[in-house]
Amino acid sequence: MRWRKLGRIFDPTQHALPGGCVQFAQSPQTLPFEDRVRVYFSTRAVDPRNGKYLSHIAFADFDTSLRRMIRISDKPVIPLGKLGCFDEHGIFPMNVLRHGDEVYGYTCGWSRRVSVSVETSIGLAISRDQGMTFERIGDGPILTASLHEPCLVGDGFVKVIGGVFHMWYIFGIGWSRHSPDAPPERTYKIGHAVSADGIAWTKDEARHIIADRLGAAESQALPTIIGLNGRHHMFFCYRESVDFRSNRARGYRIGHAVSEDLQNWVRQDENPALDVTEGDWDSDMLCYPHVFEFKGAVYLLYNGNEFGRYGFGLAILEYD
Amino acid sequence: MFTWRKLGKVFTPQAVGGRPWLEEFAQAPATLLFDDVVRVYFSCRPRADSTGQYVSYSAYVELDRGNLFEVKNVSDQPVLALGGVGEFDEFGTYPISVIRAGNEVRAYYAGWTRCESVPFNVAIGVATSRDEGRTFVKCGPGPILAYSPDEPFVLSGPKIRRFNGIWYLWYIAGRKWKVVDGRAEPVYKIRMATSADGMHWSKANQDLIESRVEEDEAQASPDVYYAGGKYHMFFAYRYSSGFRGKDRGYRIGYASSMNLTDWSRDDGKCGIDVSDDGWDSEMISYPHVFDVDGKIYMAYLGNQVGRHGFGLAVLEGQLE
Repeated sequence: MRWRKLGRIFDPTQHALPGGCVQFAQSPQTLPFEDRVRVYFSTRAVDPRNGKYLSHIAFADFDTSLRRMIRISDKPVIPLGKLGCFDEHGIFPMNVLRHGDEVYGYTCGWSRRVSVSVETSIGLAISRDQGMTFERIGDGPILTASLHEPCLVGDGFVKVIGGVFHMWYIFGIGWSRHSPDAPPERTYKIGHAVSADGIAWTKDEARHIIADRLGAAESQALPTIIGLNGRHHMFFCYRESVDFRSNRARGYRIGHAVSEDLQNWVRQDENPALDVTEGDWDSDMLCYPHVFEFKGAVYLLYNGNEFGRYGFGLAILEYD
Repeated sequence: MFTWRKLGKVFTPQAVGGRPWLEEFAQAPATLLFDDVVRVYFSCRPRADSTGQYVSYSAYVELDRGNLFEVKNVSDQPVLALGGVGEFDEFGTYPISVIRAGNEVRAYYAGWTRCESVPFNVAIGVATSRDEGRTFVKCGPGPILAYSPDEPFVLSGPKIRRFNGIWYLWYIAGRKWKVVDGRAEPVYKIRMATSADGMHWSKANQDLIESRVEEDEAQASPDVYYAGGKYHMFFAYRYSSGFRGKDRGYRIGYASSMNLTDWSRDDGKCGIDVSDDGWDSEMISYPHVFDVDGKIYMAYLGNQVGRHGFGLAVLEGQLE
């Protein structure tokens, strides 16, 4: 298997974004329609109170070629959370899933902390208008820190397999300070939970389901899963836990793992491999993958340099 | 109406000395009975830091079983460590509630973190002791009871009980942050969860006690005691604003139940109120009802929510 890059298909700096957002189109997530594919992404506004970012969910619709954008949302599809709630300072990402006539949106909500920069949890919002707007089922999260997953539960990706809701997500294993004057940095790993209804979840708590390639300090993020030829394939991104923002050798790359039984995963980053392209929009970093099938082909959406500041691109799966 | 005869203040943290982590406050008393002493766990604070912020620790004082006004011992150290950077209990462990479980003593405690938009958030942790409750080791770095769609923040005030082989955790959950004179103040309500083992909990997801003084009444310290064929809950309540003074500050309320789920509030039966003068003349809060050698006592806090310690009242007659 190999990924053939089709290039960047959305550059947020070339469009008017809803909600005063400028730059960033992170973590693309698809909702397919007969005549189009809706791609949700997280974009950013600046908080006028302190200059920090607030992440909002927007979408862009693409025609069936996936190359031509035909519409962009004119307002955020879900407001940020209330004062003191887990999703007060941003939603990034939101994974969408059709469920009957509704669309479930699994949000990763961000709220700022004092001793560390942020805490996250996963919420659920439901759309009854084909994904135009989403309404929370409650002010709080459906998946959050627990006894052995102390922080930073986020990046949920949900898929129904054999009548069971499966969620792959990430959890923080802790924050640490790597030099006296540097802020604490986090390390997170991919986990797994199951549910009968998509709302009440049982974690396989604290189990690291994907082996580290970079050692214990590897951070793994944004799992996305597809069934291919009778096996389950997970794509995700991974990086070092420190000096990953501007050092291209330590930044995000795309990982891959395969499972027969949804319990045991074998890591195979090279098959199919996706690598950086010198001199292009994805020359230094590859992150936030989203795999999906549309009209018989398998695609990967992903972000490039600077965590998606300049948009997302597309690759198509090919077989030798 | 019950008749509580006040016995006076029994413990004054300022009088202890030699413990910089125990300068003031002795909040949320919770008892554990021994042959010779009644051990009372409480939460206390060192002096505020240079920005006026506190951390809180939990500790205990031992009172002579034959004369509860004789202090026999005060713990040399906090019974529980604060959490690590980025963990839910990094900035405080308050309150704590203990129970014997086989050869161990188990503690349920509220852990405090600091947030940017609101001053704090709180979730409930668990720890065990194998030295008769002198020191506790956390069962994990994360919370045992955390946020959910209807309980979005501030899960605090745990009180652990076991009735008829089932574990019950009464606690409070935040409903909203109300901005009063530019300051975010939490509104919280009394809630309950049940468990077969004390580790895996199912939330009742309902308010147990109707609000009386206003819709945004804050309710705390749900203390349940079984006597006379029914369950008695003493708790604290206050207004949502202006509550640091006498008129709108904490008072003790009362409710009863036959089944632990449906509660009937009747504050008029409670039988304890602020005094005309003295240490509990402005507010009374954090009731804890316990029995020793045939007598039923209530430990409670006075002015400034226990800054100067806690006192005792004894019941005249029966709870029925």
